[in-house]
Amino acid sequence: MLAELPRKFGWPHEDNPQERLLLDPLPQEDMNRIMLRPMLKAGSGWWLVVALLSAIVLVCFVGAWAYMIRWGMGLAGIRRPVFWGVFIATMVFWIGISHSGTFVSAILRVFNAEYRRPITRAAELMTSFSLICAGMFPFIHLGRVWTVYYMIPMPNQRQLWTNFQSPLAWDLFAITTYLIGSTLYVYLPMIPDLAMARDHTTGWRHTLYKWLSLGWRGVEYEWHYLHMAIKIFAFAIIPVMFSVHTIVSWDFAMSMHIGWHSSIFGPYFVVGAIFSGVSAVITVLLVVRRTMHLEYFLRPEHFDALAKLVLIFSLAWTYFFFNDYLVEWYGGDWVGHQLLLFQARGPVAPLWYAMLLFNIAIPCLTLWNKRIRRSPIALFLITVGINIGMYLERYIIIPGFLHINNMPFDWGNYNPEWPEVSIAFGTLALFILLYTLASKFIPLIPVWEVLEGQLSHTRRRIGRTVVTSVAELE
Amino acid sequence: MSERISRRQFIALSGLTGTAMAVSGCTINLQEPTHLEPYVVPPEEALPGQKVMYASTCGQCPAGCGILVRVSNGRALKIEGNPLHPLNRGKTCARGQAGLQVLYNPDRLRNAVRQDQRGAKNYRPLYWDAALSLLADRVKAAQPGGVAFYGNLIPDALATIVTSFLQAIGGQPPVLYDTLAAMDGRRTLASATAALLGSSTPNLPLFDIGQADILYSFGANFNETWISPVAYGRAYGQMRSRPLGTRGYFVQFEPRLSATAAVADKWVPVAPGTEGLVALALGGIIRELGLARAKDSPAAALFRAVDVRGIAAASGVAVEKLEELARAFARFPRPLALPGGGLAGHTNAAPAMTAVMTLNALMGQAAGPESPILLTPAPPDPAFASALPSSFADVKALIDRMSSGAIDVLFVAGNPIYDLPVATKFAEAMARVPFVVSFSYIVDETAVYADLVLPNNTYLESWGYQVVTPAGARPCISSQQPVVTPLYDTRQTSDVFLDLAQRVSDATRKALPWPNTVAFMQEQMAKLVGKDASYSTKTAAAVWAGFRQYGGWWPQDEARTQARQVAAPAGVMVPRPKLEGDPAQYPFVLYPYPSTLLGDGRGADQPWLQEGPDPITTASWGTWVEINPETAKELGLARDEVVKVISPHGQIEVIVYTHPGIRPDVIAIPLGQGHSNYGRYANRRGANVLGILAPAVTDAGDLAWAATRVRIEKTGRQQTLPRIENNVGVDFANQAGKFPG
Amino acid sequence: MAEAKQGNRWTMVIDLDKCTACQACVIACHAENNVPTVGPEQINMGRAQHWLRIERYWQGEYPDLRARYIPVLCQQCQHAPCEPVCPVFASMHSDAENINVQVYNRCVGTRYCGNNCPYLARVFNWFDPYFPEPLNEQLNPDVTVRYRGVMEKCTFCIQRIHAGADRAALEGRPLRDGDVVPACAQVCPTDAIVLGNLADEHSRIHEFVKSKRAFALLEDLGTEPAVIYLKGGESHVS
Repeated sequence: MLAELPRKFGWPHEDNPQERLLLDPLPQEDMNRIMLRPMLKAGSGWWLVVALLSAIVLVCFVGAWAYMIRWGMGLAGIRRPVFWGVFIATMVFWIGISHSGTFVSAILRVFNAEYRRPITRAAELMTSFSLICAGMFPFIHLGRVWTVYYMIPMPNQRQLWTNFQSPLAWDLFAITTYLIGSTLYVYLPMIPDLAMARDHTTGWRHTLYKWLSLGWRGVEYEWHYLHMAIKIFAFAIIPVMFSVHTIVSWDFAMSMHIGWHSSIFGPYFVVGAIFSGVSAVITVLLVVRRTMHLEYFLRPEHFDALAKLVLIFSLAWTYFFFNDYLVEWYGGDWVGHQLLLFQARGPVAPLWYAMLLFNIAIPCLTLWNKRIRRSPIALFLITVGINIGMYLERYIIIPGFLHINNMPFDWGNYNPEWPEVSIAFGTLALFILLYTLASKFIPLIPVWEVLEGQLSHTRRRIGRTVVTSVAELE
Repeated sequence: MSERISRRQFIALSGLTGTAMAVSGCTINLQEPTHLEPYVVPPEEALPGQKVMYASTCGQCPAGCGILVRVSNGRALKIEGNPLHPLNRGKTCARGQAGLQVLYNPDRLRNAVRQDQRGAKNYRPLYWDAALSLLADRVKAAQPGGVAFYGNLIPDALATIVTSFLQAIGGQPPVLYDTLAAMDGRRTLASATAALLGSSTPNLPLFDIGQADILYSFGANFNETWISPVAYGRAYGQMRSRPLGTRGYFVQFEPRLSATAAVADKWVPVAPGTEGLVALALGGIIRELGLARAKDSPAAALFRAVDVRGIAAASGVAVEKLEELARAFARFPRPLALPGGGLAGHTNAAPAMTAVMTLNALMGQAAGPESPILLTPAPPDPAFASALPSSFADVKALIDRMSSGAIDVLFVAGNPIYDLPVATKFAEAMARVPFVVSFSYIVDETAVYADLVLPNNTYLESWGYQVVTPAGARPCISSQQPVVTPLYDTRQTSDVFLDLAQRVSDATRKALPWPNTVAFMQEQMAKLVGKDASYSTKTAAAVWAGFRQYGGWWPQDEARTQARQVAAPAGVMVPRPKLEGDPAQYPFVLYPYPSTLLGDGRGADQPWLQEGPDPITTASWGTWVEINPETAKELGLARDEVVKVISPHGQIEVIVYTHPGIRPDVIAIPLGQGHSNYGRYANRRGANVLGILAPAVTDAGDLAWAATRVRIEKTGRQQTLPRIENNVGVDFANQAGKFPG
Repeated sequence: MAEAKQGNRWTMVIDLDKCTACQACVIACHAENNVPTVGPEQINMGRAQHWLRIERYWQGEYPDLRARYIPVLCQQCQHAPCEPVCPVFASMHSDAENINVQVYNRCVGTRYCGNNCPYLARVFNWFDPYFPEPLNEQLNPDVTVRYRGVMEKCTFCIQRIHAGADRAALEGRPLRDGDVVPACAQVCPTDAIVLGNLADEHSRIHEFVKSKRAFALLEDLGTEPAVIYLKGGESHVS
């Protein structure tokens, strides 16, 4: 029944079937070549980018972190009462990004949205890589990172255990589960493509892919089990995804802090995460398409569909944002009111207005337009803007809200210091570096999924009209 | 140890102490090797793990509170108040707590040093014997009367020895000038009391504010630094402990809302220097309304024909308000007016203090067994007579003698170059003294320009005693003893003088025959044999033991000394204060005040006191200027802006703090900072307001420290004043009328 | 010994009417608990390390201005918001004293407790403390010197509570009122701070907590603090 949905709502651009990937098939070998060509050739530009990114990661991330471990947390700008700053905001940001992959891939897979086929892999990789970035921040922000194992429930002679009441403990388990789950989820559909790569490569790459493809031969029972496993994972990963960001939001919502202790934070954060995640998928796909010459696979129809999702989530996010504001205002707490005024007039006011601009004004005013949805440059700018806006949202909620509390004597202004900014920037470089490296080792487009789609799609003439028919795959 | 300790408890306790020691030993510095101290033969005072309390006297200000120092393993760990001591009863102030950082200050001088060129900061270490022979030669070679001593309010043991020494060599008595004492108005208050009570000897009283129903404090910041803040703090607690309704009503008359005024029920911002006039007006109104309780007292004469209207105009307190305050003062059975240190800084100090004291007399409170004015009782023996601080006029005379070349050897046991206004030209005069000896335990601003620095032991390493003045309900001689072995090769100054006396002449040998301070003290204490005390005083040995063990000598029971009757005060009217500087050019009156934590600057080398937040501004580690927000707006100034405060005698740069509780025509700057040489914690922080004061003298001969006019100039620079409050939040809470609690 | 301690309820009463903000308690706390000084730059960043701070609010406008002082320290909540959020049980309730304790060597430094404390009573060791020789001689051997990366806060001078209990045990008697005096209460010139055991019916604080002036800070949050404030009194003469 779910499979009916896309058909019911019709296909985009029915008028020009040549625009649509699934109706514009190429021989399998050609598709393999398109995918493998950028993987096997590493130009000087690529090396330059990798060297540059590695240097940034080494200096800005590893270096700054090591420096901070040596001298203490005080190198960051955090202070009483703003005990959490850029680190936690960046962690929430990366967790948000990580929602893209699962959402685009698993949910669209479950709903049999056919346009998902070429973009799932790139999105799923984003999940894993951004989770790696996000998962590092709980360590980075620890005052004593060398005792981090205290947080792991493990038997010890002192019979000390993790506090399962603490949202931070939930965080640890949620993020770990999500990271393992999403990594498996990205790996499973990759197996046939890795086997394809194995068959087309020689030397060390061949050995690597031989190991990674687990001896995949493509016989029928293998496909059967693969499909079953993917389906199980797709269903299983969705609640994990929702729970992860809900739990991250509980880091704040479970506290007593004004502005944080809101029951709407769970869905608010999930919507925000998907909003920023889908935007990030668009940004990344645009870059991948351009740099790896994958125009065949990634077509305007895909961006058009994703941009519509962005628009919907922009509206949903606006609703939750307004709701959160309204509840605080209606609550009538005198410090709460001050917090609202503080957002509009205080030191974070420029960020607050920028957030409204990037998250509400720009997407809502532009993405109605099909031409904008199909313009790579416009989309690139809008989606980057959304992620800036979503970062600002986290920044305002975490260090921003902490400025104000029940003891007016102890209000405090937080200004980030260079190690924090450097480490946050370093994780961005790390994310791009991982992606750049992955582009040479992992087929970013699941060729077999595209092929599968193309096989099931045919155009038939019924009377005067030509319609697309989709066969159920077995 | 009792026999009841079980084996288990013993193991547990020794484990506890062992762990504590290990913890403290391990965690000091990871880079340094851990020092293990194998106490095979432990020093007498160092039983491992055993804590010992030594009774002594606090040396952080001239009040003389009794302290107990917790010592373990030869280390002084904590200073606590001596619960037996009649002055402070187990309490101390913030400065008293920080005394350990005097003892363990990392910048202390570790031995006697000589400097070949003054100000070069090139110190050669010197053996004590060599230093003392050098000094003896210099003293012997000095012209008659050419040896002078300048000091703070030093403990009485040292003061007695120094006075005898100077007497023996024919010098003038020591000049003991203390900024805190001057700002407390000790001398002026003592003379005003004597004048009121018809006594010839000045007597510094302690006011029993604990029993007051209504307390009018004229510039007395007794909760911060005034005379004996711990004793007053205790009494304030008593006053506030009384049930609601009869709880004392407390009004503070002061141009600036000090921390004391901040807890008052009412603060009356009077124009600077008109506190005495206001007291006069109150007395005049009370007398006119027939509310005076001692109508026939000669004191009432002072309040005849008071120009209330004129005073209202001068002080900025409306006539109706004065009348209201006067009626309230007269309504309660036990009113009390405090003549505070704020009065002492103006040219009309003496009549102003007399006016306030006479206001007490008018209400029948100045004399009699019920009087809250407790006179300092006579010491048990004349040998314990305690000198009042010297006047500013004495200091000026010393400076004149120094500049004229009449002084060959100058002993300094204080920090005059920091303490005295630059306009007194002390530094220039000192440059003309051929030989200057400093006894500072740390290289301070004066020691930098000394030829010889003979570092004194800190007060926690010294022997001595202090005759507590004012003592309040009973006479008290507070004992001082070393709580730890001296850390370095330093020597206490009284020992230096005793040693010097042996080297100089027969006269000095005869005047000071004691080999060391302990011998001197034992002889002094022998005079207490047979006197009432809470311990046996039958023999000299018993007195000596009890004196050290209990922290001093005082009678077992309170014996309040109050005046029997009031004499007629000289019927002078209180003149208007004279302020230095042209009002057109210098529109603001500068109100310097001693810092609650740093005092007059002596506490600036102690990081705890530096870091402690000021009660009013919550600021630390810096100097600020308090300006009324309206004035600041007019001048276009905002918080955290650096401004120049310019007086006719100099200028300093300070950070603006807008203080809602200060008169618009007054700016206030705390003392304490602006050290150029006083150890790492004090150097190059803030500015020293004492430097820019006009060297004006009050009619009591003291420094008129509040009588300087200044102007403010912008520098265009910003510097955040370190403070713990958030002004936005505090202002917001005030507007919303909401406070936590 | 341990059994005897069960059911204690250490409670502090602070009389705001008597507090003069003289800062003696602040410095005494530094001295007793090895609280380091951090210097002006850190204070400017809001990192003053005081376990006990005296908050000063203004009330009214010039000239009818009054300062309202309130010493704020860890309120030792019976329902402490800092306890459930700590992932490693570094912030936990001590059953023996019924106060909230911070286990320094268990703390990993998430600072969540600091965010969740409505009283902002917790301070963090942003850097290693620095005690140049011989200032380290003063360090109290009964109290751990905390290193970078751990939270710390007022302990009601738990070392003195233990010392008092040990002394009472050595003398073979129950703990009496006045056996335990924390550094701040000991030094307070006006006796504004009193610590006592609420479980002890003869303790001085019993009558204080029944006073009409008694209130708890941010009472509506339901944290059930063990610090009870007595409201400042008002006197009017006209």
